[in-house]
Amino acid sequence: MLNKKAQIGETTTWLVATLIIIVVLIFFIYASSILAEKNNVLSIPKKVIGYAKGSPQLGDWIDVKTSLAYILSENKYKDAIDSWIMEKEK
Amino acid sequence: MDKKGAEKILAVYWFTILILVAGGIFAMVYTFYHYPYDVREMEANIMINNLADCLSKNGKIESYVIFQDGTFNEPFKIDFLNQCHFNFDNGERYERDQYYLQADFYKFEDLENPLASISGGNQNWIADCKLEKDEENYEKTAQCLERRFYSLGQNGNQYLIKILAIVGKTKENVK
Repeated sequence: MLNKKAQIGETTTWLVATLIIIVVLIFFIYASSILAEKNNVLSIPKKVIGYAKGSPQLGDWIDVKTSLAYILSENKYKDAIDSWIMEKEK
Repeated sequence: MDKKGAEKILAVYWFTILILVAGGIFAMVYTFYHYPYDVREMEANIMINNLADCLSKNGKIESYVIFQDGTFNEPFKIDFLNQCHFNFDNGERYERDQYYLQADFYKFEDLENPLASISGGNQNWIADCKLEKDEENYEKTAQCLERRFYSLGQNGNQYLIKILAIVGKTKENVK
């Protein structure tokens, strides 16, 4: 009788252990599928390039072009131009 | 006999667990790496950078784009894809072009109506750009990217330039 009880107890332990392993595996498979959906190569990171001492920090390739044009011309509409540039890129 | 039998059963059990765990790891790796990477935004960014570089250098619009007198070079407008080294040829992979590129030139006085426009590629993709990010099937549509910058003409005129790049290629980038 005691031997039978011990056998039942042991079997239950193994069953629970198996269930835990299966649940953990399912969880990780689900997590990997969620992470896979978010696979996205991000845009080229905006590198911060300072072109002259004390100058404002510049952004990426396109921003550098704008900043170079500002250097060449004294532009009183700088703020308006910047807001137009940022309009779509927000 | 009992002990030997139990050992055999346990061995089978461990073997089953081993297969289960190995299968699980395989399923995880397969699920993760089977999903395609969406590189279209990066591709569109590269196209925009290349076109911007072709149109303007060192803060000034190239003389082959806008002449000294402020007029646009008409042959360049027609042939800008070749002159800026773009190749939109898909080979036999796709029935229609997968790219579209457009640059609009504005004067500061009128930011609604472009002074001139150049465009090349498949115009049908433009409709996809009207979809909002949270709309259904957004990811299965073409990827649109718009960038703007400011540049000077050779004669000191000021121009605002808007570049739109669209990349289709949903087959390779979206599941």
